[in-house]
Amino acid sequence: MKIKLINISVSALLVILLSFSLTKAQAADQCIKCHLDLDDNHAKLFKTDVHFSKGISCAGCHGGDATSDDMDIAMSKEKGFIGVPSRVNRYEVCVNCHVDENKMKRYGSNIPTDQYENLKISIHFQPTFNNEGPIADCVTCHSVHDIKDVKDPASKVYPTKIVELCGSCHSSAEFMKQYNPGLPIDQVSKYRTSVHGHLNSKGDPNAAECASCHGSHEIFAVKDSRSLVYATNIPSVCSKCHSDAKLMAKYKIPTNQYANYVKSVHGVALLEKGDLSSPSCNDCHGNHGAVPPGVESISKVCGTCHVLNMELFEESPHKKAFDEHNYPECESCHGNHLVEPATDAMVGTQKPAVCVNCHSNEKNTKGFIVAGKMKTLIDSLKTEDSETKSILNEASQKGMDVSDATFSLKDVRQVLIQSRTTIHAFDLDKFKAQIDDGFNIVSKAKLSGEEAIDDYYYRRIGLGFSTVIVTLLVIGLYFKLRKLEKKS
Amino acid sequence: MANNHSANSEQSNKTKRRDFLNILLGGGFVAWLAALFFPVFKYLEPPAVDEVKVTSVKIGPVDSMEKDSGKIIKFGNKPVIVIRKKNGDYVAFSAECTHLDCIVQFRKDYNQIYCACHNGRYDLNGRVASGPPPAPLKKYGVAIQNDEVTIFEEVA
Amino acid sequence: MEEKNTKAKGKLLSWLDERYDISGLIEFAKKKSVPKFRETIWYYFGGVALLLFVVQVISGILLLMYYKGTEDLAYESVKFISTKVSFGWLIRSVHSWSANLMVLAVFIHMFSVYFLKGFRKPRELTWYTGFGLLAISMAFGFSGYLLPWNELAFFATKVGTDIVGQVPLIGEPLLKLLRGGTDVTGATLSRFFGFHVAIFPGIFIILLTLHLLMIQRQGIAEPDDYKNLPPAEKKTIPFFPNFAMRELLIWLIVINILAILAVFFPWELGTKADPFSSAPVGIKPEWYFLFMFQVFKFLPGEILFLPGELVGVLLFGIGVLLWAIVPVWDKKTAKGNKNRLLTYVGIFVIIFIIVFTILGFILD
Repeated sequence: MKIKLINISVSALLVILLSFSLTKAQAADQCIKCHLDLDDNHAKLFKTDVHFSKGISCAGCHGGDATSDDMDIAMSKEKGFIGVPSRVNRYEVCVNCHVDENKMKRYGSNIPTDQYENLKISIHFQPTFNNEGPIADCVTCHSVHDIKDVKDPASKVYPTKIVELCGSCHSSAEFMKQYNPGLPIDQVSKYRTSVHGHLNSKGDPNAAECASCHGSHEIFAVKDSRSLVYATNIPSVCSKCHSDAKLMAKYKIPTNQYANYVKSVHGVALLEKGDLSSPSCNDCHGNHGAVPPGVESISKVCGTCHVLNMELFEESPHKKAFDEHNYPECESCHGNHLVEPATDAMVGTQKPAVCVNCHSNEKNTKGFIVAGKMKTLIDSLKTEDSETKSILNEASQKGMDVSDATFSLKDVRQVLIQSRTTIHAFDLDKFKAQIDDGFNIVSKAKLSGEEAIDDYYYRRIGLGFSTVIVTLLVIGLYFKLRKLEKKS
Repeated sequence: MANNHSANSEQSNKTKRRDFLNILLGGGFVAWLAALFFPVFKYLEPPAVDEVKVTSVKIGPVDSMEKDSGKIIKFGNKPVIVIRKKNGDYVAFSAECTHLDCIVQFRKDYNQIYCACHNGRYDLNGRVASGPPPAPLKKYGVAIQNDEVTIFEEVA
Repeated sequence: MEEKNTKAKGKLLSWLDERYDISGLIEFAKKKSVPKFRETIWYYFGGVALLLFVVQVISGILLLMYYKGTEDLAYESVKFISTKVSFGWLIRSVHSWSANLMVLAVFIHMFSVYFLKGFRKPRELTWYTGFGLLAISMAFGFSGYLLPWNELAFFATKVGTDIVGQVPLIGEPLLKLLRGGTDVTGATLSRFFGFHVAIFPGIFIILLTLHLLMIQRQGIAEPDDYKNLPPAEKKTIPFFPNFAMRELLIWLIVINILAILAVFFPWELGTKADPFSSAPVGIKPEWYFLFMFQVFKFLPGEILFLPGELVGVLLFGIGVLLWAIVPVWDKKTAKGNKNRLLTYVGIFVIIFIIVFTILGFILD
């Protein structure tokens, strides 16, 4: 009996307190109270807004006096009421609080405060074509009155919803042609074909979506070096997820690609030498429609840059052989992420030549012989080249000028590079025709060098010859003189 | 009679020696003249090859340009853009845009070479980054010797 | 054989005599002789200098066939001659070596004339023209040195003309005249080329002709030691054919030496001149200017109240002038007396030049 009484009184006390606080809250936001009574949709929406749950009233954005229920006072300019902010500068309302760390703390939030800083310099902040404020401001993406925390699945920018959001502009030809008619509008549809897109459709918030790669506020044009998806930035952006073992374990994807890539020829070229023509992740895998290239299409993918190698390969006997065995074309010999600089050691009949992986004296012998011959030709050209260089060096040490011949040897390097490409035809005759040019150059240069050395000796021999003549003359004259003087 | 004979033989010996000496001298002189004129005539024969011209332009000491800056110099009658990168390295390219020959400039904010005419952009390797240019900028060699920077034409 | 020779000679001479009446010349040639004594050896050096001048003219004309005298082509054309033209290396090295040997020969010739007192009355003009020839020879050397337009030459010219600019009053305009401007540029090269192949050869030929004519007219000088001998003991060498053959012998050897030098010590080309690069360390002029250059290096910045270089220029100028006009202040030897002062001055000058040249080489 006693307990029951206590229970009731405590509950009653709670109810009183609750209604009191409710009233207090209601007393705090007279705006919404009134507008709800008026059946205002914005007010109805605002009740779901994260700002409302933090205790911010309509006046928090619109200004005015939220405590007054008199419209004239509450919505007076003197009290700071700004009405509906214009499209041009409505973002200033958000910026008012969201750049201020202290204000964020006051409402118990530890979200970053750099959004405006980033947005200001981004491409989205450029004015619209009819000068109605920035193309995309806070409201464009986060909406208004029904703003949710970004971690809330109901938020417009939550991973499962953001794709539609971005696509609402970026997939609209009508809209995009006002700004950049050349910009593709198929990103979303491509995305949906990708692994990321499939996972995203199924509701996986961890799969990459627009903001994962392009950023949220700090979005720049792809060709802008500040962009997260600028060529040199892409590998680290992809690796943010793809090198995360914990994250990838779920999808059973290896996580060594980035580590391999930065060591590879392509990685070093792009990231260390700044060579923008070198591929990063998206050049082979695609960006929006990211999918690993299939076994048969690898040479096509590599072939977008390595055209000659691809063409030669596809005409070669290897194409059919590899496809029959389901070998991943270029990757079989060159690797995928860890593409190392191709060296002459890769050709031949002994390890570490890649040919021996399939060819030997017993099996696939024809190829074995061809590989051996190609290696011999390359090696002998390189030997001839260095022999010629030393002959030319000897000539120049002797003081003879061999600058032209030395210069012509530069072409040998070119021939070697081209021959290494011709290897991909796996055709000995083609290869021979290519590399013979090099032998011609080398033999001409060698001849020049030998001629120069010969000239060196020729000069000395000529001098000796002339000196002999002069000596004979001098002796003859001497005797003639002696005779003359004897006479007198 | 005997005296005459010996005198005659002595004379003929002397004559023989004299003649030999004269032949030696005469022949020697002819040979000497030939040895002298042979190089002269070969010299006057025009050689098969033409001369090679090389041009280079010195632009000043290494520190005359600030890091992360660029300038246009005159290379003979061609404009060349010289850029000192953020890390202090020098690069030089033809300053004529491969699109329609406007003069390009270095843009610090892009860290790229920029052509104001049609928004063409090149990276700091001279390769086209974006825009209409169809081909990369021709690269010029940079040599730094004794703290002096020289731009020279790289012979292909 | 010998009769055939004299017959041929006789035919040629009579052909000329019929037309130009050269019997007087032939008589003169037959009588021409050279004193034969201990000092005869010095009498060859004039001829050697003449030979080397002829070598210079011939090799210079050959070089002219391929040399191009402008800033962007000079160096390349010399390289072309040295590497691509048949025997171009030979012609070029001979020209450079012969230049040096010629200056040396002229110096030796001058000093031998000085000590043998060949400048005395009546041969004062021969001395003056000879001195002029020395000056032009050195000017030949200075102007020719620049023509390959290489680094060493460029800076040597810069320094050399700088010193000229130190001469009081006329120094500045003279410097501008030489350089064709205020700095050493392509204009300087053009000027020096003009000097080297036209102006200096012209003046040289005139002075040389006078010099040689005067010697023929007056006969070769005889030093007192020889002159005072009793006529019986005065041995002579007939100029034709004896002395001429001896000269020929020496000339053959000299030409061969030039060839040996060209093959074993080819003249370097160095790197192309670059007006904007800094002067290489240890820049110095050719050896025949080295003693002057070294003295200038030793001069303090200021002497009394005048700049050091100015004092140097003045002192050198006065010294050279005094040397040049030795026939004026040497009255003793004209009368046949000994002049100790003359000898000491001569020895001092030789030692001075040698010491400072050596210092110029070994010091840096």
